[in-house]
Amino acid sequence: MIPKKRKLLLFILPFLGLTLVLVSYATPIVKLKITPLFNNQSITENTWFVSSQKDSIQFTKLKFYFTDFQVKSIKGEINTIDHSNYLIDIFQPETLEILLSTVSFSNGDELSFNLGVSSDMNTTGAHSGALDPSNGMFWSWQSGYINFKIEGISPSSKTRQNKFQFHIGGYQSPYNTLRRLTFILNKQTTQLNLNLEEFFERTKLAVDNQIMVPGEKANELATEFFNTMTIN
Amino acid sequence: MSKAIKYSFCSLLILVCSGFVVLKNKALIFDYPDYWPKPYYDFSKLTMSENEFQLGRQLFYDPIMSRDQTVSCASCHLQATGFTHVDHDLSHGIDGRIGTRNSMALMNLAWNSSFMWDGGVNHIELQALAPISSENEMGSSLNEVVAKLNASIKYKALYYDSYQDSLVTGQKTLLALTQFIVMLNSYNSKYDKYIINEDKGLFTQQEKNGLNIFRNHCASCHTEPLFTDNEFHNNGLTLDPYLNDYGRMRVTNKSEDSLKFKVPTLRNIQFTSPYMHDGRFETLKAVITHYNSEITHSSTLSESLKNNLQLTHKEEVDLLVFLRTLTDTDFLFNKRFSYPFNNQTIP
Repeated sequence: MIPKKRKLLLFILPFLGLTLVLVSYATPIVKLKITPLFNNQSITENTWFVSSQKDSIQFTKLKFYFTDFQVKSIKGEINTIDHSNYLIDIFQPETLEILLSTVSFSNGDELSFNLGVSSDMNTTGAHSGALDPSNGMFWSWQSGYINFKIEGISPSSKTRQNKFQFHIGGYQSPYNTLRRLTFILNKQTTQLNLNLEEFFERTKLAVDNQIMVPGEKANELATEFFNTMTIN
Repeated sequence: MSKAIKYSFCSLLILVCSGFVVLKNKALIFDYPDYWPKPYYDFSKLTMSENEFQLGRQLFYDPIMSRDQTVSCASCHLQATGFTHVDHDLSHGIDGRIGTRNSMALMNLAWNSSFMWDGGVNHIELQALAPISSENEMGSSLNEVVAKLNASIKYKALYYDSYQDSLVTGQKTLLALTQFIVMLNSYNSKYDKYIINEDKGLFTQQEKNGLNIFRNHCASCHTEPLFTDNEFHNNGLTLDPYLNDYGRMRVTNKSEDSLKFKVPTLRNIQFTSPYMHDGRFETLKAVITHYNSEITHSSTLSESLKNNLQLTHKEEVDLLVFLRTLTDTDFLFNKRFSYPFNNQTIP
């Protein structure tokens, strides 16, 4: 008679082996590492930064969506990654690394994804996961996702408690605030930097400090935020 | 041998139990008259199950949805008055606050292409977000509601029954509420019976006259059989200087949408007073008087209202009598839609 414990072990071993083999095949292939910076200094809470507009800035919130990831091979084959929706919060370090484990690539393939949420997802009701409206990134009075939030304080912002708040969204033309990032993959870990000083180079906080509705201004700021992103 | 009996007994027990589960969580049937158009809403995210419906019903009537546990959906949407707030021109909220618009009647919502008086909400599943997070209504957030529900043993169990997962999420909460409100359908009025030629529903001459007047003067916006065209119109109301509500323009930022509001259904209109987006008219007679002789002209006024109706007194009465045929008492007193808790009053 084989003892019960060993029987169990014998039973489990093949599964373990198989799992190991599968896991080694499914190692995360595309890895995106996001680093929020201001003048090459990493952004942390309670830290002052000074913009080229001479605005002193402290960040209290910076959240944004990356969605609909897609890899296009050199041959032109398109591999869309289902449910690839991520809500990035720069003050939650675990959200600053995106692992796309279900897709493989060769050097030279193209990775693309949205900054923001597609109009399709804006018009089809309540979604789950990163897109769950309980994440606080959805407008209630006028349906639509907030593609990104940038909030903080600055003495230049003559508002209550010197707060500035940019809640940028809007999926309808001509002010569709969705932007798509595209770049060539040539290593397993791609470094994506946010150079926030660029956003505040053209955004003067004494003038613009509360943009929380879709429209022309939101559309401009969407481009400004998009332009802060560089790939290393 | 005895083992075999034990096993078969076990499997039988499981079979019987699962049978009960199936029986208990029966599938919902979404029914509506043949002559109605197909619903606008795509039901694919709902389970269409009794459990999800009952969960949504509990949520609808539970003040847990508001920040201080004092206001539920039903506070402003009472069944007996077509799920709107009788006698209140503007909606109420926590801390005695008062909103800026009249609560809308809830019925036949699967045929709505947008929600709220200004159409700001683009999908039925997202509708509840507005009152939950409005400072003047429930003053909370979906996030806060989800946290409270996750701390409730009762709700964890109900979510499990509906979704085979006790974790409460924002999506599930919104879907459960949708499963309840999408079933609030009214199609058993005298008008419906008249249309499908049921004996009981034969109209009196006065009601027939009223229907004709309605079709000539009102039906272009209040389109049958749902009695709304789902569009936004300026119906000639003067601007309330305290509310300064320009309606649809707030959402679209287009001047051509100034003073336009959603055309509400007229089903059960007898009981859904007061009327208009700001509840300015308490009686249907006042509404008809408005259309008959008190239209305020402005650049965005609806084409079909450019000329006053000029109905005679008799015609006004006939129209009123017709509007009462849109009352559906089966709907207004359907126990499946009523308050689900025992021995308590609606908060």
